[in-house]
Amino acid sequence: MKKTKSRAKQMLLASTLAVVSWSGAVQAEDAPGMFRSEFLQGNMGWPEVTAKARAEGTVNFYYWGGSDIINLWIDQVATPALAAEGVTLNPVRITSTKDTVDVVIAELAAGRGEEEGSVDLVWVNGENFFSLKQQNALWGAFADRLPNSVNFEWDESDPRSLLNLRDFGVETGLQEMPWSGEQYVCSVNRAHVPVDQTPATFAQLKAYLEANPGKFTYVKPPHYLGNTFVQSVLYAHNPDGTGAAPYQKSFEELGGAELARLMEPGMEYLKSLEPLLLGGANGSPRYPENSDELDNLFLNSEVHFDCKFGVFANHNGLITGTYPEQAEEMIFPVGNMIKNKNYLTVPLNSPHPAAALVAINYFSSVGAQASKLQAAGMPVGLDLWRLNDEDAAEIAAAAPPHYGVTQQELDANIAPDTNASLVDVIEATWLAVIERKEDKPLADIVAQVSGELNN
Amino acid sequence: MIGTASKLRDIKAINPWQRLLVLAMAVFTIAPFAPLIIQSLAFRWAWPNILPTVWWFEQRQRSPFPLAWDYVFSPSSRVVEATINTLGIGITVTLLCLVICLPAARVLGQRTFRGKNQLEFLIALPLLLPEAAIGIALLMIFIALDLAGTYVGVIIVHLIPTIPYMARTLTSVYQGHGTDAEDHARVLGANRRQIFFRVTLPMILPGVIAGCLFTFLVSTNLFLLTFFIGQGHIVTLPTLLFAKISGGALDATGAGIALIASVPGVILLIFTDRFIRNYPLAE
Amino acid sequence: MMRTASPAFMQNLRDVVEMTPLLVVLLGLFGGALVLGLLQSFGYAPWFGINEFPTTRYFERLWLSSDFWFSLGLTLYYAFAATLIGLVISVPLSIALSKRFKASRLFSALIRLPLMVPYTVGIALALVMLGNGGLLSRMSAGLGLIDDPSQFVQILKTHGGCGIILVYVWKQVPFMTLNLSAVLARTGDDTVEAAMVLGASSRQIFWRVTLPQIMPGIVSASLICFAFNIGAFEAPLILGGGYPDTLPVLAWRYFQDANYAFQLQGMAVVVSLALVSGLFLAAYLQGYRRFERARGRV
Repeated sequence: MKKTKSRAKQMLLASTLAVVSWSGAVQAEDAPGMFRSEFLQGNMGWPEVTAKARAEGTVNFYYWGGSDIINLWIDQVATPALAAEGVTLNPVRITSTKDTVDVVIAELAAGRGEEEGSVDLVWVNGENFFSLKQQNALWGAFADRLPNSVNFEWDESDPRSLLNLRDFGVETGLQEMPWSGEQYVCSVNRAHVPVDQTPATFAQLKAYLEANPGKFTYVKPPHYLGNTFVQSVLYAHNPDGTGAAPYQKSFEELGGAELARLMEPGMEYLKSLEPLLLGGANGSPRYPENSDELDNLFLNSEVHFDCKFGVFANHNGLITGTYPEQAEEMIFPVGNMIKNKNYLTVPLNSPHPAAALVAINYFSSVGAQASKLQAAGMPVGLDLWRLNDEDAAEIAAAAPPHYGVTQQELDANIAPDTNASLVDVIEATWLAVIERKEDKPLADIVAQVSGELNN
Repeated sequence: MIGTASKLRDIKAINPWQRLLVLAMAVFTIAPFAPLIIQSLAFRWAWPNILPTVWWFEQRQRSPFPLAWDYVFSPSSRVVEATINTLGIGITVTLLCLVICLPAARVLGQRTFRGKNQLEFLIALPLLLPEAAIGIALLMIFIALDLAGTYVGVIIVHLIPTIPYMARTLTSVYQGHGTDAEDHARVLGANRRQIFFRVTLPMILPGVIAGCLFTFLVSTNLFLLTFFIGQGHIVTLPTLLFAKISGGALDATGAGIALIASVPGVILLIFTDRFIRNYPLAE
Repeated sequence: MMRTASPAFMQNLRDVVEMTPLLVVLLGLFGGALVLGLLQSFGYAPWFGINEFPTTRYFERLWLSSDFWFSLGLTLYYAFAATLIGLVISVPLSIALSKRFKASRLFSALIRLPLMVPYTVGIALALVMLGNGGLLSRMSAGLGLIDDPSQFVQILKTHGGCGIILVYVWKQVPFMTLNLSAVLARTGDDTVEAAMVLGASSRQIFWRVTLPQIMPGIVSASLICFAFNIGAFEAPLILGGGYPDTLPVLAWRYFQDANYAFQLQGMAVVVSLALVSGLFLAAYLQGYRRFERARGRV
C-alpha cells in the first residue's frame, strides 16, 4: 500500500532527476555495483573495504537532528573517531526521516542507481525502513558481515534475536544494523504524585485523572510517540486478552474487520479519556505536537506524567534541565511497555557504500556504543550476552542511572511493536475518531481509512 | 478657553494620553525580551518560579556537555552556518535587487507614459498576495528546475517580496530629485557613465542606502519562502529558530538562538535609524 | 535606420530596456507561479502523471467540506482582528510620536524594534510570555490569582487565537506606525494649525484634518499587513489551536502528504486563499476610492 503512495509522490522529482542521472550514468564506467556484489557474496575482506572507504573519503549520514546531546556526540565523538579511520563523517541533520526516504526513492525512480545517489547512511526504523524495503531501495544484507557483527545475536533459533531480525514486525533481512534499543517509558513528577498513587494500568490512570483532571496528555498521532501510546492502549484493551500478539500480523493477514474488532475497546477507552486530558474539561483536549512540547508541559506541572521513547529519557531530562527536579520513571502500563530497536541502513544508491559500512562498523563497536550510551543517553543496540566480561562491564559502567525503577523491572514489562502495515491504519483511525470526531461504527472507519491508504 | 496663541504653542507638545500610549507600546514591545533573556540563561526554570531555580552558569561546571549559551556558541548548534547563510543571502539579494530595480526606478520616477499606474500596481502585487500561495506554487516549479533546496533557488525567491520595497523606495528617490543636475552635466559635456557616477549617484545615495536596508531586512527576516524553497537544506537564522520552536516550547538554546536571530536587526536599528525613518515602506 | 532614429525614440528604447529586468523577474517568477498554481488547481500536473485539465473536482471537494469554511473563517478572523487592532494602535501612536517629548528618538527606535526581527522571534516571545507556563501565568501565580497553570487563561493553542493576533500586532504596529509617521512628516502641521486658528476642537482636528491626510498611508499599510496575515504560516502553525488549521497551514499539510493527489488539493487551497484575499483587497480599495470621491465632492 505504501508503494503506490510514495511512488506517485516521487514522480515529479524523478522526472527532473532523470536528466541529471542520464549524464551521470554515461560517465560511470567502472561498473557500479561491483563492490556491492563482491562484498555481499563474501569475496571481499575487511581490509579491502577499509581501503575502498578511505578512497571514497566521505560518508553522508542523514539523521534526526532534534536532540542537542545526540548532535554533540556525533560532532565531538563520532566524527573525530571516523576521521582517524580515514573517513570524513558528513552529518546531515533532518527533521523527518521520511523526507530522506523520499529523496532516495525519487533518485532511484529517476534512474540514479548504484553509487549515484546522495545518501550513504540513514538512521531509520519502522515505517521508513518498510518503505525503503518495499521499493527495493536497500543496499543489501550486510549486517552480519562486519567485524563488529559479533556483538549482535543473529541466530534465528534464539528468540532474543527477534529485535535484530524484525523491525516493527517487518523482516530486516540483515539490511539494517541495530543502533539503539529503546523502550516506551513514562516519567512521573513526584512533587505531585506519591508512589502509592502512581498508576500502573490504564484503569488506574483514568482513576487518577478523575481525581486530578487534566494532568495527563499524550503526543498527537501521527507522531510516532503518539502512535506508540495508542498501540499500548490497544494491547492492554485487546478483547481476547492476547495483548500484542494479533498486532504482529500484517494488515492483509489480519483483515480490516478483525482489526476493528480488536481496536474497539481501546478506542472507547481513548474516547472516554478525552475529557480528563489536559484542556479536556473545557471541551478541547490538548495533544502536544511532539516531545519538546510534552516535556515543557511536564516541567511546568501542567501534566504529571511524560510518556515517550527513552530508556534514559528521565536521566536526559534531568541533566538538560527539561524535566522537573523530582521526575522519576514508572512501570506503566504494566506488561505493555513497547520496546523496539532503531537501526542504521545503507540505501541501494549510496555513493560511498564502503565508507558507510566502515561507519556502521564503528557505530556498532563496543567503544562507540558505550560512549553514545554515556554521553547521549542512548541505550545500546548491541546484545550484552554476546560480549565478553570486559566489554559488558564497560557498557554497564557507561549506563546512566535509573530513577525509581530498575533495569530489571523495565525488562520485565516489555511488549513488541505493532506491525508496520497496521501502524498507518491505526493512526488514520485515531485521526478520524478522536480528532475529527467522526461518528460512525469503528469497522466502517477502519475500512474507509484503509481504503484511502490503499490508493 | 485657552488662548489661540498658547494652543498653537502646544501643537507640537505631547499630551499625557499620548505619553501613556508611547510608554505602553514601548513596554509591550520590549518587555517580552526579559523572559527570553532569562530563559537563555536558565538551566531549570519551571512554573511558578519567576526566576530559574538553577541557572545555566551554576550548572555548567557540573554538566558533561555544553549547555545553553555554551551550546549556542559550539559548532554543533549550526548558529555560525545559519548566520553566514542569512547574511550572505541577504547581501546577494540586496545587490541583485538593486541592479534590477535601479534602472526601472529611474524610468518610473522620471518619465510619464501610458499604463504607468497599472505598472506600479503590478510591481506592488507580490505584497498583496499571500506568501504561502506564492511559496507553494513556486516550490512546484523549482523542484522541476532542480532549484529547490539550493542557494540559487532561495536567492531568486527572496526577490519576490523584496522587489516591491526596493522599487518603491528608489522610485520615490528619483521622483524627488528631478533631472536638472544631469541636464547641466550633459550640457557641460559629461558622458553617461560620468553623469551616473559623479552626479546622479551621490544625489540618490541616501535613498539607495535606505532601499538596500529595507531589502536586506526583509530578506534576513524571511522565513516562509526560505523554508518552502530551501527544503530544510538551507539553514538561516529564522529557519534554525523555527526548527527549535516548532514544537511550541522554548528551551535555553532555543532562547539563545532567538536572541542571536535578533542581533542583525538590532544592529541595523542602531546604525541606520536615520535612513529608515525618512522613507515610507508602503504607499 | 539607426542613424535616423529620433532622440525621443532612443530615449523610449532606453526606458524599455531599463524596465526589462524588473519585468522579466516579476512576470517570470511571480506570473509563472500564478499560472502554474492555477493550472494545477484545475488538475494539470503531467509530472505526477495527472492531467485532468480542466477539472473543478479539487475545488468542489474543498468547498463542499465544512472544515474548509471553518478554516477560511479562522484565517480571515486572525487577519482582520490583527490588522484592525494594529491600526487602532498605530494611528494614535504615529501622531504621538510626531510630537515633541523627551527621548523621543529613543522611544521611536524602541518601538521600531519588532520591524527588524523575524516573526519567529515574535513567536518565541509569545511562547515564553503567554503560555500557560509562561511569565504572565507565573506572575498571576505569584500574585495568588491562580495556583495551577491550567487555571491561567489559555492564550496559545486555541482557536481564539489571541496569541497569533498578538504576535501579528507586535510585529506590524511598527510597520504601520513607520508608514504613517512618514506621511505625517510630509504633510506637516500647516493644516492642523489652520484648523486650530479657525477654532476646531482637537477631536474635530483628528477626524476632519489628520485622519483624511494620513488615509492613503492607512490604506496601503493595512492592505499589506492584511495580505501578509492571510498568508502567514508559522504563527498559526505553532501558536494555533490545531485541527482545523488556517488555510496556509492546511495547504502545507496537504503538500507534505505522500499522496500526490493531495498536492493538487493543496494547490486548490492556495488558489482559494489568493482568490479570497484578492476579493477582500479589491473591495477595500473600491471602498477607499468611493470615500475619496465622496470627500472630493464635499
